[in-house]
Amino acid sequence: MAISLGQFALALDGTALPERTQIGGKAWSVARMQSLGLPVPPAVVITTDACRAYLEAGRFPDGLEADLDAAIAWLEQASGRTLGDGAQPLLVSVRSGAAISMPGMMDTVLNLGINDATEQALAAESGDARFARDTHRRFLELYAAIVLKATLASEDDADPAAIRAAIEAQGLAVPATPREQLHGAVEAVFASWNSRRAKRYRKHHDIPDSLGTAVTVQAMVFGNLDDASGTGVLFSRNPLTGDPAPYGEYLHRAQGEDVVSGKFTPEPLSALERAHPALHAELMDAAAKLEVENGDVQDIEFTVQQGTLYLLQSRSAKRAPQAAVRFAVDMVEEGRIDADTALARVTAEQVRSLLKPRLADGAGDGVEVLARGEIACQGVGVGVVVTDSDEAERRHAAGEAVVLARATTSPEDVHGMIAAVAVVTEQGGSTSHAAVVGRALGVPCLVGCGDASVTALAGQTVTVDANAGVVYASALAVETPREEDDPRLARLTAWAAERAPLRVIGVDDPQAADAHDLDHVEGAEDPAQLPALLAGHACVRGGAVESDAGVAAALAAGVETIVARHPLPVLLAAIEAGKAAS
Amino acid sequence: MYEAHLVLHGVAVKKHGTSAAVADLVGLPAERVGALLDAAVAGGRAALANDKYLLTPAGRMIVETQYSRYYSAPRADAGFSAAHERFEVVNNELKQVITDWQTMKVGGRQVANDHSDADYDEKVIDRLAGVHDKVEPILRAFAAVVPRFAYYLEKLEQALEKAEDGAHAWVSDATIDSYHTVWFELHEDILRVLGREREE
Repeated sequence: MAISLGQFALALDGTALPERTQIGGKAWSVARMQSLGLPVPPAVVITTDACRAYLEAGRFPDGLEADLDAAIAWLEQASGRTLGDGAQPLLVSVRSGAAISMPGMMDTVLNLGINDATEQALAAESGDARFARDTHRRFLELYAAIVLKATLASEDDADPAAIRAAIEAQGLAVPATPREQLHGAVEAVFASWNSRRAKRYRKHHDIPDSLGTAVTVQAMVFGNLDDASGTGVLFSRNPLTGDPAPYGEYLHRAQGEDVVSGKFTPEPLSALERAHPALHAELMDAAAKLEVENGDVQDIEFTVQQGTLYLLQSRSAKRAPQAAVRFAVDMVEEGRIDADTALARVTAEQVRSLLKPRLADGAGDGVEVLARGEIACQGVGVGVVVTDSDEAERRHAAGEAVVLARATTSPEDVHGMIAAVAVVTEQGGSTSHAAVVGRALGVPCLVGCGDASVTALAGQTVTVDANAGVVYASALAVETPREEDDPRLARLTAWAAERAPLRVIGVDDPQAADAHDLDHVEGAEDPAQLPALLAGHACVRGGAVESDAGVAAALAAGVETIVARHPLPVLLAAIEAGKAAS
Repeated sequence: MYEAHLVLHGVAVKKHGTSAAVADLVGLPAERVGALLDAAVAGGRAALANDKYLLTPAGRMIVETQYSRYYSAPRADAGFSAAHERFEVVNNELKQVITDWQTMKVGGRQVANDHSDADYDEKVIDRLAGVHDKVEPILRAFAAVVPRFAYYLEKLEQALEKAEDGAHAWVSDATIDSYHTVWFELHEDILRVLGREREE
């Protein structure tokens, strides 16, 4: 049962797996990695018992201060470093963690333990004064934002004294010593249990208020101490393509924040393999173990500190649609998951995006490129360029396919964007109005094509290839992929057809002619009217019953067969809706 | 007449809005707004299509020339301008949050968020709530000078709460009064009141 450090604290040492309700999900996954024999930085957990006692009393319960002292002593001993002073300072992360992951809880505080003295020590140890200063600055900013809830403008070169002064100007203060800071951070975690957002979420999801959150305090490890240090991210399979080979990035002599900041260019994992073959092998072995244990592709953060590998976090990897499909089918073939699990891991939305129309192979070869822009929303649109949103709406209503080209867009253009087959703008990037609204509408969209680049094309027929970021002169051939042309989609379709609570047939099926066609029914696009319009029909078709909500409504209305251009998304939506209803 | 201007302004901000939506936005009784809209259509300042109104080119010109007359007070008010400066800072944050809602990083590359990762989505909605906490005092500062800005606070809160309760369309769907839709109308409204141009 881990190592007890008093009434409220446990040291995680991998000897046994404590209850998730007592230590929270984050500490639990740390403990589980340890129990698999994987290297994890030393960690202690302040249990949910402490949170409950705190919430009841409105203050730290008796004994918790002593347990915190014991927790620090254990971390110092396990890491060989000291909190707040010494030549090898201990810095820790402080994170919230309830048994059930929930929004509204306190964000992680990193680098707690840094002050003027430890900044000096860290500068000497790493030989990098700038890193030590950045660590100090980042800690103060994070503590101010997360624990004190101060609003500070972030400045890259601010000096710690200036940041403290700015915080004090708001009537707040970062406590003087790391020990007091730790108290503040733990208390802030407890308090976040009752944040507006967390309370609302628990109420909505019937999660008891009495559960409480634990606090995980973990030693920070440093990837920038010497040439045998570094940091990186590893996916147990490629999350973009689905290829089974592990995929990752490594930053030699760098700290985790450097990877995120984008200031440095990471190298592929082969760089780690060349420099430290034994570490690389250990990492591959850990990735394989974690993937088997979790039954899903993992996204693993790791750091190498002076030649020792540490795993910081492992979770199910986010994946592009193509990868979601390949992972699911491959893992069934490998005997790792069953077909039901595979189907649950591919969403209707992911399949829809794979089946979107695209430029036919080679269609753009040798065709004049009129403009290039940043891709905001993928897809392909062919139409005549118009530069006014009212005109776009008018010509769309008259049956024309139009591409809306604007210098920028504003809310006055939304109706034109809805009418357009594609939207292209001259200014603005991925957060511009056109990009945000284009994605919200699912309209193929390119932004930032350059001054006078696309509005000058008014009246021309163009092809906007928003998969490649190119506007071509003339109308090019567009093809719509089909499930049966892709072996993996075909397999998923077969599995889904066996399990879905309703039947889906293609538009070419002889029976499709008998379907009640909602595309020709007034009001079918209104979700509130749909149930009444579906009632009494065994077989239906139309855009209204191809969305997730439309499929759920059809199932609820007793529809037996849906006619669809693409069966798989409808089948997946039907399986989901069936699960939700039961 | 101020009310006639206000209704044209409402149509300018809520383009393709119904009479009820315009009444909501400008805070006038529905009947009064209906009568003013009828008059605007009769006078060639607005056009009606499928129960929804939009300004004619003449209507657009008229409403734009009237702003300086009706909003000299907020334009001269230091508190209002200061609130607008803070709004522009929070606006950049909002745009980033909405972008992170619609896209996500996979293996170091930005791809469309297909909403298959609930933890990721909940974290973004957390950040949206953080933006809301910041914009609330700013909107109160606006409303202290131009009371009808209180409407946006209410609409933003409604959208946020629906999103928090799991109806995710209320984050950025462009066809409903989602958080992003209302935010953009709010931004448009402020810029019109102050006579400023939008910057991308």
